[in-house]
Amino acid sequence: MGFTSLEPNKLIGHVDDMNASKLSRWLFAIFLLMNVAVFAMALVLPGFRSVAYAPLRELLLPPPSPIVVTVLYSTEKEEWLNEAVASFEATRPTYQGHPIQIKLTKMGSREMVLAVLDGNQKPVVLSPASSLQATILQDLSISRDGTALVRAQDPVSCRSVLQTPLVLVMWSERAAVLWGENPNGTLWLRLQEAVVNERGWEAYGHPEWGYIKFGHTSPLKSNSGFMTILLMTYNYFGKSSGLTEQDILGNRDYQAWFQSFEGSISSFGDSTGTYMKDIVAYGPSMYDVVAVYEATAIEQAQNAMGRYGELRFYYPPLTVLSDHPFCVLDADWVAPEQAAAANLFIDYLLSRPMQERALLQYGFRPADASIAIDQPGSPFLRYASSGLRLNLPPLAQLPSGNVLNTLLEFWDRTIRR
Amino acid sequence: MNRSFRLFAAWLILSLILSACGSSGALLSKQVKIQLVYGSEKQEWLDPLVQSFNASRTKTEDGAVIVVEAVPMGSIETMDAILAGSLQPTVWSPASSLYLPVAESEWRKNHAEELVAAPPKDLVLSPVVIAMWKPMAEVLGWPDQPIGWADIAALATSPEGWAAFGYPEWGQFKLGHTHPEFSNSGLMAVVAQAYAGANKQRGLTLQDLSDPKVQQFMADVQLSIIHYGTSTGFFGTRMFERGPSYLSAAVLYENLIVAQETKRLNGQSQQLPVIAIYPKEGTFWSNHPYVILNAPWVTAQQRQAAEVFQNFLLAEPQQRSAMQLGFRPANPNLALGAPLDMDHGVDIRQPKTVLEVPSAEVVLGSQALWRQTKKPVDLVVVMDTSGSMAGAKISAARASLGQFVDLLDDRDRLQVILFSSKVTELTPLSELGPKRDDVKRRISGIVEGGNTSLYDAVGLAYQQLQRDGDPRHIRAVVVLSDGQDTSSNLGLDQVTEQISALGEDPGNAIKLFTIGYGKDVDEDVLSSLAEITGGKYYQSSPDNIQKIYAEIATFF
Repeated sequence: MGFTSLEPNKLIGHVDDMNASKLSRWLFAIFLLMNVAVFAMALVLPGFRSVAYAPLRELLLPPPSPIVVTVLYSTEKEEWLNEAVASFEATRPTYQGHPIQIKLTKMGSREMVLAVLDGNQKPVVLSPASSLQATILQDLSISRDGTALVRAQDPVSCRSVLQTPLVLVMWSERAAVLWGENPNGTLWLRLQEAVVNERGWEAYGHPEWGYIKFGHTSPLKSNSGFMTILLMTYNYFGKSSGLTEQDILGNRDYQAWFQSFEGSISSFGDSTGTYMKDIVAYGPSMYDVVAVYEATAIEQAQNAMGRYGELRFYYPPLTVLSDHPFCVLDADWVAPEQAAAANLFIDYLLSRPMQERALLQYGFRPADASIAIDQPGSPFLRYASSGLRLNLPPLAQLPSGNVLNTLLEFWDRTIRR
Repeated sequence: MNRSFRLFAAWLILSLILSACGSSGALLSKQVKIQLVYGSEKQEWLDPLVQSFNASRTKTEDGAVIVVEAVPMGSIETMDAILAGSLQPTVWSPASSLYLPVAESEWRKNHAEELVAAPPKDLVLSPVVIAMWKPMAEVLGWPDQPIGWADIAALATSPEGWAAFGYPEWGQFKLGHTHPEFSNSGLMAVVAQAYAGANKQRGLTLQDLSDPKVQQFMADVQLSIIHYGTSTGFFGTRMFERGPSYLSAAVLYENLIVAQETKRLNGQSQQLPVIAIYPKEGTFWSNHPYVILNAPWVTAQQRQAAEVFQNFLLAEPQQRSAMQLGFRPANPNLALGAPLDMDHGVDIRQPKTVLEVPSAEVVLGSQALWRQTKKPVDLVVVMDTSGSMAGAKISAARASLGQFVDLLDDRDRLQVILFSSKVTELTPLSELGPKRDDVKRRISGIVEGGNTSLYDAVGLAYQQLQRDGDPRHIRAVVVLSDGQDTSSNLGLDQVTEQISALGEDPGNAIKLFTIGYGKDVDEDVLSSLAEITGGKYYQSSPDNIQKIYAEIATFF
């Protein structure tokens, strides 16, 4: 364009030609100088990189160093999270001109707490299955170092991204025999009575079903097992808050009840997903009932119909959420720009498209309360007739990290095999 | 100038091509080999999959082409070889997880790290069932009446056998299961018998195993056993080929029944229909775990390659082909459907319950109890000592026969017959316990020389065992020969007639196992002699004779 506007000058003569070429030389020099200045700035502040002349930038400037955000996460959200990271990185996210790279490492929830505490893992973000583990890490790091590695209750440094409660999943035919409609308030008590009964299903008129087979994961290795024993314990004491170390260590009747309950289980696996997969793959001969996350159960509900029939959902009288907090650590190995980049990533996870994907595809309850869980296509509509509920039972109060640890140690000492 | 420029250009292009190939791995292809040792029950499923996977040249993340070598092998034999370090596979996939705790505890005696570090994934599933001919099962009340080990024990001890149900033509009740020290299904069968004897479904203890009631129960069931063996598949084939007079029932995996019924419905088998009985006391699942070994010889790259292959096997098309062969897919995304149905002899609403998997010590204790209660064998070993056996042949044969004797129990009865131009008896049929050392000493002194009177020796062994053997025992003749008959008075037809026309329950008849030793044997003769009786023929040489004897020993 600029050149065409100069064309009439051709007629004016030689002198003006000289002026024009001088002018363009000047312009070129200014362009060069500006480029040099921008490039120099970009080397110091990568934010300037985007201003630089593109063809030269790619040729001359070293690529800006990425900000790497390492995330330790629990396995239940693996597929959704991998999908989220891929679509996040496709947006070419940057912070102050530095591209953001997310590095995921999956790990059991308790394992990651211990690994961070021991210094074997130094992630920027920790995302266990629930705030239970974040609380434990907070209390353990305070009692050891005097400062918290994570602030579990602070809504800025730990943000819940997905939510799913613990449920019991049982074969419809057998649930009808064991407790008919929903046993509600007495669920754990009645399950305990059933599993400790030496006569097994014979006591309920079905000797051919053998002993009553209940399964949950190891509380030491998996959060759902931990939630299970916490809820059992609350149900035994008939309270919804204020669980103390004294309750666990000082009550013989509780201990006997708890030990016989857990003693009926022959082995404790590591992964909630495996329990759910196994009850569907093997059918009622292997497990009558398992304690798993609602989202894990939703994922397999359709498969169950194709194998051994309907699985029903039962909600304990009180619940705790696997709330998948994403916690940016307060640790000396986390640089401010890493924390900022991590927060951009967490914002992305909380965006409406990612949250709706988690609901519709994976059966999680969105952390964003404005997203309706009964919207068209939601599994909460699809499986309502199998007992899946929109409204959660009341939440149990989360005990302190020390009480939680006492419960785990008690289990480890008396039950683990 | 022009020419050198062209040369230079050609060199430049060539080097560019080479470097491009190099970086994409086309010329300098990297490979990672993994070895999978697996329970032979899934050979038919795995063989074509290994082939198509290798042909696809699938790569690991770092670009190495994965090459899978798959070797079928008995589960417990594999475990022993891995523990001894003589077998170093990347992946081990036995028929079930039942023996994994035993493998782990043995491994940890010599290793700091666990052998099975992470819980393995299941490849395919199949419950352990009692396969029975449909008319026989119906006589027992199937499908309305639940049937279990207690019913089997009652049948086994009944002197009238099937006559008690109005079917004298079916003879005695004859059961088969594999050798519990060599095969998963046999092991699961004896643990299930121990549970049934203790009237328990969980919490089986060593104390239960020492209860006389439990011991009697297992002994009762064992009374009906015709012989043992290493391979569950072999048992299935035997039963389906030979029919109800040979075996009334056998402990098999459900998938073998589906496979047989598929054949029968396609007109490839003329047998009676066969159905699965899911023991009412509960059963075990064979779950074919895919164990990527956490052993020092497995590299990180092999581990990665093994995971890629695992994902391939668990993907829907491969799982679907498993279901076509009668397995229940481990991938829960697949709905269960044909051929897993009553038309093919199975009921997917079964089993109703499992038995609790006992601890390693109780598993080993159940094996020991079986040793104590199993049917003894009356065995005649017939060995060729003709002149052609000279050298390595005779020395390997002597040594391995000595080891074979060690595999027998004290309660077993043994006779050893040698033949060359004439037939001589090294030891008469009598209990092995008191004479074991003497027999082994005599075996070590065997010398060769003379001709080959094979038929005379076989005929004599048969006659004597028929006369002196106890029909309540397993009765077998094991013949080793390195050449064709040259000097017998009997002819082949006469021997064949002797060993086949004995007019009793063929299942309980004397079994003949023949070993063709070296290259000069008449394989057709030896294998037909074995086949007639329900035994088995083995081709052997001084290199593997010990292994062959060991396998024959698993039949009793």
